[in-house]
Amino acid sequence: MAVPISQMWTVSTYVLKKKLSGTKRYPLVLMLEPLFRCNLACAGCGKVQYPPHILKKQLTPEECFAAVDECGAPMVSIPGGEPLLHPQIVEIVNGLIARKKYIYLCTNALELKRRLPEFTPSKYLTFSVHLDGDREHHDFSVCREGGYDIAVEGIKEAVKRGFRVTTNATFFDGTDPNNVRKFFDEVMSMGVEGIVLSPGYSYDKAPDQTKFMGRARVRRLFRAILSNRKPTWKFNMSPLFLEFLMGDRNYDCIPWGMPAYNIFGWQRPCYLLQEGYADSYKQLLEETNWEDYGVPSGNPKCANCMVSCGYEAPAVIDGFGSLKGFIAMVRGTFTRYPDQHALNLLNEPAAQGSPALVKIETPGRQLEETRA
Amino acid sequence: MTAEVLKYTREQIEALEVAPGSQHENLEGWVPELATDEEIKAAIGKALDYRGDVTLTLKSGEKIEAYIFNSHNGPTLADSWVQYFTPKAADKRKVTYAEIARIEFTGKDRAAGKHWEDWVKAYNEKKAAGEKNIALHPDKLE
Repeated sequence: MAVPISQMWTVSTYVLKKKLSGTKRYPLVLMLEPLFRCNLACAGCGKVQYPPHILKKQLTPEECFAAVDECGAPMVSIPGGEPLLHPQIVEIVNGLIARKKYIYLCTNALELKRRLPEFTPSKYLTFSVHLDGDREHHDFSVCREGGYDIAVEGIKEAVKRGFRVTTNATFFDGTDPNNVRKFFDEVMSMGVEGIVLSPGYSYDKAPDQTKFMGRARVRRLFRAILSNRKPTWKFNMSPLFLEFLMGDRNYDCIPWGMPAYNIFGWQRPCYLLQEGYADSYKQLLEETNWEDYGVPSGNPKCANCMVSCGYEAPAVIDGFGSLKGFIAMVRGTFTRYPDQHALNLLNEPAAQGSPALVKIETPGRQLEETRA
Repeated sequence: MTAEVLKYTREQIEALEVAPGSQHENLEGWVPELATDEEIKAAIGKALDYRGDVTLTLKSGEKIEAYIFNSHNGPTLADSWVQYFTPKAADKRKVTYAEIARIEFTGKDRAAGKHWEDWVKAYNEKKAAGEKNIALHPDKLE
């Protein structure tokens, strides 16, 4: 089990209180982006594509605390940009710890080793290190040779100092599931608490607009990766969300479950789409046309999205909000998902070309039915 | 609901193998016609998607260099506004559509020329030339 009991208790009691109070929409994780500035220029990330005066802006600690206090989510994810470039990130983190928020500080770890002495290990603080695969794959993915080695050095130092550490990977079309499974072995051997993963999304501003998987292909990939699990693998995610990725269950997106706040305000409707900003979380909830988003809406912008900011919250609410969901979650935590069909998928020929130069097209395959 | 909603059925979405990407428009240097309300709204829609600054000329004659990130469409141009940052001020500002006389896409498009294929091509060329520590670097903050 990757997530500590105290964190699960906090989240489960929060969900139950909201359920008992009849609250229809509430946040589980605040995606707090204190800045867009980054020290990488990854293909696949559009967050750095702003004029310099925007990249120089950053949220103050007070603005971060006000957003956290207003929305009340028990967990705060700090992506970016690269949060460790924020000169007051330690003050922000310490202020959130004082508020007893469970923090996932998402970092490429290029600065992690250098800045670790400024942080204090806490059950509330997790460094979520971006690693997209083995050395060759990660370096190619983040468009920087040597990035993997620096990140791994940061991970090992953080683990050594007693910090909670997870890795965080995004998989795009052409990903070889066998490589990913080997990568999981490698990551777990570093002593991390667990793995976080997500399928890529066709983020409108991303420089790479060619390798986005549709939902059928996402399910097939994650079914191949996540079935027949090794006992050493641990995932710092809801088991029900992983089952969603594998095609074993279906959820509808609830973007208000993981709202995003940055220098522009509260992002509508979610972390990935930019369809305006609200001045407050209350305004975001009340004035966003939520029915325009998610699969039931038919909105093409939501067509291939299966990412955690929309779909992990319903999985968590399902897991902690009903006895049936809770039993499924417990079962999912301890199951290895044996699946012969998934083994067959692993034995299919890998996409042609260098594994690092991710193959964009997969010719000759028929659309495959999955269990979703 | 917006016009583009309801383009796909759930069955179509669930069966998607590859998701279409978006087409990047080259808007740098563009000066749209703003003769009608619809043209103003369309131009502001493009400015919202644009990853560079625009220059707004107001009917008062004032020129504003702005990164537009938010808008509100009200029943009239006077009730509609854009929200922006300027390079020289820390605070967010607003101006109504009715006050805008001209929009010029003057700033560098920060999304242009950063395609995956460009990276693959550059990587392969540098690798073949024996270069080490190949990397893309973020734009300088000037």
